[in-house]
Amino acid sequence: MLTRDRIGALLLLAFSIFYGVRTLYIPLLPFQAEAAFTARSMPWALSVLGVVLSLALLVRRGTGARVETSGFQWRRAALLCALMVAYGLTVRPAGFLISTSLFLIGGFVILGERRIWLILAASIPIVVFFWVLMTQFLGVFIEPWPEFLKG
Amino acid sequence: MLEGILTGLSTAASPINLLMVAVGCFVGTFIGMLPGLGPISAIALMIPITYGFDPATGLILMAGVYYGAIFGGSTSSILINAPGVAGTVATAFDGYPLARKGMAGKALAIAAYSSFSGGTIAAVFLLIAAPSLAVVSLAFQSTDYFALMVLGLTAVAAFAGRGNVVKALLMTVLGLMLSTVGTDQTQGVQRFTLGMIDLIDGVSFLLLAMATFALSEALMSVLRPKSDADRARELEAQKNLGSMKVDKEEIKEMVPVIGRSSVLGFFIGVLPGAGATIASFLAYGMEQRLAGPKKGALFGQGSVRGLAAPETANNAACSGSFVPLLTLGIPGSGTTAIMLGALISYGIQPGPRLFVDNPSVFWAVIISMYLGNVILLILNLPLIPYIARILAIPSPMLLGFILGGMMEENLRRALIINDDSWSFLWERPLTFSILLIAALTLIVPIIAPVVGRALAKRREAAGEGG
Repeated sequence: MLTRDRIGALLLLAFSIFYGVRTLYIPLLPFQAEAAFTARSMPWALSVLGVVLSLALLVRRGTGARVETSGFQWRRAALLCALMVAYGLTVRPAGFLISTSLFLIGGFVILGERRIWLILAASIPIVVFFWVLMTQFLGVFIEPWPEFLKG
Repeated sequence: MLEGILTGLSTAASPINLLMVAVGCFVGTFIGMLPGLGPISAIALMIPITYGFDPATGLILMAGVYYGAIFGGSTSSILINAPGVAGTVATAFDGYPLARKGMAGKALAIAAYSSFSGGTIAAVFLLIAAPSLAVVSLAFQSTDYFALMVLGLTAVAAFAGRGNVVKALLMTVLGLMLSTVGTDQTQGVQRFTLGMIDLIDGVSFLLLAMATFALSEALMSVLRPKSDADRARELEAQKNLGSMKVDKEEIKEMVPVIGRSSVLGFFIGVLPGAGATIASFLAYGMEQRLAGPKKGALFGQGSVRGLAAPETANNAACSGSFVPLLTLGIPGSGTTAIMLGALISYGIQPGPRLFVDNPSVFWAVIISMYLGNVILLILNLPLIPYIARILAIPSPMLLGFILGGMMEENLRRALIINDDSWSFLWERPLTFSILLIAALTLIVPIIAPVVGRALAKRREAAGEGG
């Protein structure tokens, strides 16, 4: 039976195997081939542990909790995830102020807010306030403008 | 010593230094509350400001920021399940469930009392035992650190509760795996970067903490929007947030926990490298064990003990981490490492000579710890109702992630010292003892129910027979 635990175990088993295979790609310096501990040692041990533990979870008699998906708003969550990815990709080229404001505006729209004045009031001032707080008071530099506007 | 204490008291009690303690605590609390900005970044931000100050004043300000940030971190752990600081991850285990039950005010008050008690008790230890404790921490070698970290990781089995040991261990392994991404610290080779430049420095702790705590919480609330009935219930719960009363029964429960966790936190803090994070996790695990099966089962669901233990231990560890810094010049944590840099920039070399050459700095910092704790309590208790308006079981993955790099480095160093031989694991008594405790921590929760059932069966059989 495909329970929640088993799905998790399967995913982690796949990840552990992928991790173990990638371990073979870690470059070793020639004189370290015979050393007791190299850059590959711990990852190798971890991937074996990962495989053993996820197999143990897979064969174990679990709680039987099924995955509940009824009533979930998949479309909204997927749109939000896509927005997050888009924000991650645009924050450098478009600068903090523009990309973060657009991200918040997009987020509010996806979450169902339709009052434009509220959307604008809850996004742009917050972004500016946060930027001023970080750069002027805490001394953490964040590039405010798009790349093409930089001097 | 009395002369030193009096010197420290007169330095720490000067108006400018008192002001610095207060400012440090306030700024630290504020920065610590912002998820992602922990004591290390808070203190790093203070360094340019303190350049013009007298060394004692500068150090007092930074110490105030340190406690404040740890306390502020616990606030965001309790209220929004987003610990900005690794040392307060364990605080979220029981603090957040309490907040969800509508007892955020109480949870914050318990955190404030525990932090105050832990910090103050540890400051007394520091005053009395600083010089001799330094000798104990010197005896620790990388082999022992490795063993201590193994113990910290196996302790997650204790947090997991019955039936979840394998899952908790699997999550720890995942955390360890993620910690290996990036450039290998000793050999400089890239691991699991998949050719991406952004991964060369590894995965940031902030990113992982946000992904596991805040993002999952946000996505779940989008996936499963609340019904009107749920909203009404939440609104009702929010009305009760302000209640900060801790009743007699709870105080009775907290006092022994605070006593034990202070001692444990302080001693863990003294060990270089093992700071507030390990202390809080170990204290949580220890209290769950001591609580017995009935009260232990409440851990993770809003247990008073489960909240008091890590909160006391992390503050006690903060004070403890000053011991190796002030007496040996070895930082006990990442934060004190930054302070070490600041001290050196003042022209002061921390170490055994600090007592002799700069007694006012040494004692003023220790005395300021008491003052800082009092100010934090005064500052935070009235603020709780306001902070409380801001309003997933945290995963052992984060602990694995935090300890992964340190564990590998210590193991590698131990192997180099021992000529590539693994014999230190069983030949060095201290290492062996810690590993043995780690093994027991792992085995006992698995075996105990089996033994318990067998004993119950036998008793039943004997009862029937008699």
